[in-house]
Amino acid sequence: MADYKIESQEVETKQYIVVQIGNEKYGIDIRYIDNIVRMQKITRVPKAQSYFKGVINLRGEIVPVMSIRKKMGLEDDVITDASRIIILKVEEKGSLGVVVDQVREVITLNIAEIDKSGVSAKNAKDTFINGIGKNGEELISLFEISAILEEREMN
Amino acid sequence: MDVSQYLEIFIDESSEHLQSLSDCIMNLEKEPDNKETINEVFRAAHSLKGMAGTMGFKRMQHLTHDMENVFQEVRSDKIAVDSAMIDLLFKCLDALDGYLANIKASADEGTEDNEIIIKELNDFIARANGNKDASALAKTQSAADTEPESVSVGKRVRKIELSDSEKKEVSGARAEGKKVYSITVYIQKDCLLKAARAFLVFRAVEGVGRILVNRPSSQDIEDEKFELDFSFCVASNESLDKIIAAAKNVSEIEEVVGEEITEDVARAEEEVRTQPANDPAKADTPKTTESKQTAPANKKQTPAKPATNRTVRVDIEKLDALMNQVSELIIAKNSLVSISSTEGGSFSSQGFHEQIEYLERITTNLHESVMKVRMVPIESVVNKFPRMIRDLSRTLNKKMELYMTGEDTELDRTVVDQIGDPLQHLLRNSADHGLENAELRAERGKPETGTIFLNAYQEGNNVIIQVGDDGNGIDVEAVKAKAVERGVITQEQADVMTQKEAVNLLFMPSFSMAKKITDISGRGVGLDVVKSNIEALGGDVEVKTKLGEGSTFTVRLPLTLAIIQALLVTVREEKYAIALASITSIEDIPVKDIKYVEAREVIHLRDSVIPLVRLDRVLDIEPKAEDGDNLTVVIVKRGDQQAGLVVDNLIGQQEIVIKSLGKYISGNKLISGATILGDGEVALIIDANTLM
Repeated sequence: MADYKIESQEVETKQYIVVQIGNEKYGIDIRYIDNIVRMQKITRVPKAQSYFKGVINLRGEIVPVMSIRKKMGLEDDVITDASRIIILKVEEKGSLGVVVDQVREVITLNIAEIDKSGVSAKNAKDTFINGIGKNGEELISLFEISAILEEREMN
Repeated sequence: MDVSQYLEIFIDESSEHLQSLSDCIMNLEKEPDNKETINEVFRAAHSLKGMAGTMGFKRMQHLTHDMENVFQEVRSDKIAVDSAMIDLLFKCLDALDGYLANIKASADEGTEDNEIIIKELNDFIARANGNKDASALAKTQSAADTEPESVSVGKRVRKIELSDSEKKEVSGARAEGKKVYSITVYIQKDCLLKAARAFLVFRAVEGVGRILVNRPSSQDIEDEKFELDFSFCVASNESLDKIIAAAKNVSEIEEVVGEEITEDVARAEEEVRTQPANDPAKADTPKTTESKQTAPANKKQTPAKPATNRTVRVDIEKLDALMNQVSELIIAKNSLVSISSTEGGSFSSQGFHEQIEYLERITTNLHESVMKVRMVPIESVVNKFPRMIRDLSRTLNKKMELYMTGEDTELDRTVVDQIGDPLQHLLRNSADHGLENAELRAERGKPETGTIFLNAYQEGNNVIIQVGDDGNGIDVEAVKAKAVERGVITQEQADVMTQKEAVNLLFMPSFSMAKKITDISGRGVGLDVVKSNIEALGGDVEVKTKLGEGSTFTVRLPLTLAIIQALLVTVREEKYAIALASITSIEDIPVKDIKYVEAREVIHLRDSVIPLVRLDRVLDIEPKAEDGDNLTVVIVKRGDQQAGLVVDNLIGQQEIVIKSLGKYISGNKLISGATILGDGEVALIIDANTLM
């Protein structure tokens, strides 16, 4: 946090972890990420919301794991060797795992360069996004964490 | 001296004293002449006053002081206990509770003076003493002579060995024409705040004189480095009696004795008499005054913070047991270490297994001990109920008596904390709706005084608390009619409803049976809240009722929340845990024995018909195409209901640690939590109660 402040005196920047979901690249604010773990056995929880894949044992704690694809209304995950579970840590509600196809890199974005104009509520999928960042030639959709945590599902 | 470190002790002890006051006053109401109770009341009020004074809570001290005065009059037979007085005393207790609540929240007693109560108290005393001026009494707070302490004979003044400078000090004071006394103060054995008491004694004595010397040193006294007594020399113009009285005014002081330091003691110092005596001795007095000033200052630094943590008072024996087991654990660990190192890798597997078994036994014991540490008797919750019933009896104008048993039944601290409100609801229900009015009771040939009972006892892994009354019971037809009227159920449903189902309607949200809304109950937020609170604790509640004879609510609570014995089963590839406490038996049932009742599968087992629950179906698992010849059925029960859970295989019994699924996964009543198995895999815990 301290480093972040020092930096912010010069140019306001934010760090994101870039993950791949399907063909698109998404950025997750690094401040919310507690951990990134390999795919492991997920215990299915009957009667849970359909976008929950189940729970895992993360160092003795039970952590629910969500399929962000299902939540965004995409087809179900295809688990490969590159699949990872991103553990988000949110104060009030505790840890939550999110399955992604691949973790790419960590990028630093200048806040001024984040394009918020492209964000509209028209497309249901877009409501999980709060901005578009540019990393070189690539466009990266930036996740709105609170939307992921919220209890709703896109169809 | 900073008293904030004593705040927690103060709050704990004050609550205890308030509780014992409340108990005693209840007793007093029944037997106004019981001298022992009166004495106990007096003692409790006295200690409370002393503690409040020590902590600087002036208003609290003032109120208890005036209460104490009333008890004093009762004790000396000047006033008789009557119901007006009991009412007033309860009002005082409520006010004191208020102070204590403020102190708990903010370390400050608040600004409510409760003048009305104080005035009423003084009026009481005034009436008792005929023409004695009441307001004067109110101001005698600092006057010492209200407490007649019994004088014990064994206490003697300790001889103080004076150093040279102190001798000068003493003779200097005498030269000024003052009298110098040597005083020894004995503190009560069970006093917790010895240093605070000593400090208070010094402060009281400084009001009438100047302290020249103290033994042990003031630093040691502040650090509580003394036994039950301390001594000091004081120079004063007042008489010895007056100084002793001032010191005795501090509570929890057992005895104060003193004598004047006579010529002989001082004679040796005659030659130095002319020298001015000041500096070295004064060093003692400023020290105490200085610390007096820092106390309020320190308190101001932390005003808004909640003053207490949740604590459990632990019996020292329980801690000893814990310690012993930890020692054993270390021994077991060392044995394992030595096995692995001494035999150079080729350790005998027999020794190894023995040690593992040993380790297993220790961890089980350790677990039990830790759980025991968390257990507290429900007494702390239920002991406020007699008072509540008394008040209800007044407001409802019904005669009733509360009988309680099993107050010493122990439950997990978290459960105890949250069980108070539901029980209170049930008791209020009994008092308000359960018990009939006097005429109806007479008509039915019941005794005029209604009976309300609360029985607690342990049954297996559960604690049962029964709350009930000998009143009207639940009018099942009225409940049904009401439910139909409210549109909760249809008339057809009502017609086929069993009594049990109808009674359960009472637990639905916003279903109040009270014909008129009263203060006590009848807002329709009662029973459904009771039910949800109890279910949140992993328990359940049942009602048995007979119209005209009374009803009994049975609350069943798990002994502990964190670790349970469970049976592990598999359903296809998945592993599930079922709490052993809810399992009655495991049966091998031939498929051909399955019968159908209303198109539901049931089995006939030892004279009871038990519905079958196919776990694979309720857990959304693909059902098997075909059953084998036999089904493995786990019979679970809840109260007198039973169900048979069909599983694929049994893994075995295991002690499991219950973990929550977290806040994200919702709408899942069937799964009450998860646990992590030895191989790191997660198994879900099935709440069998939801399947019935």
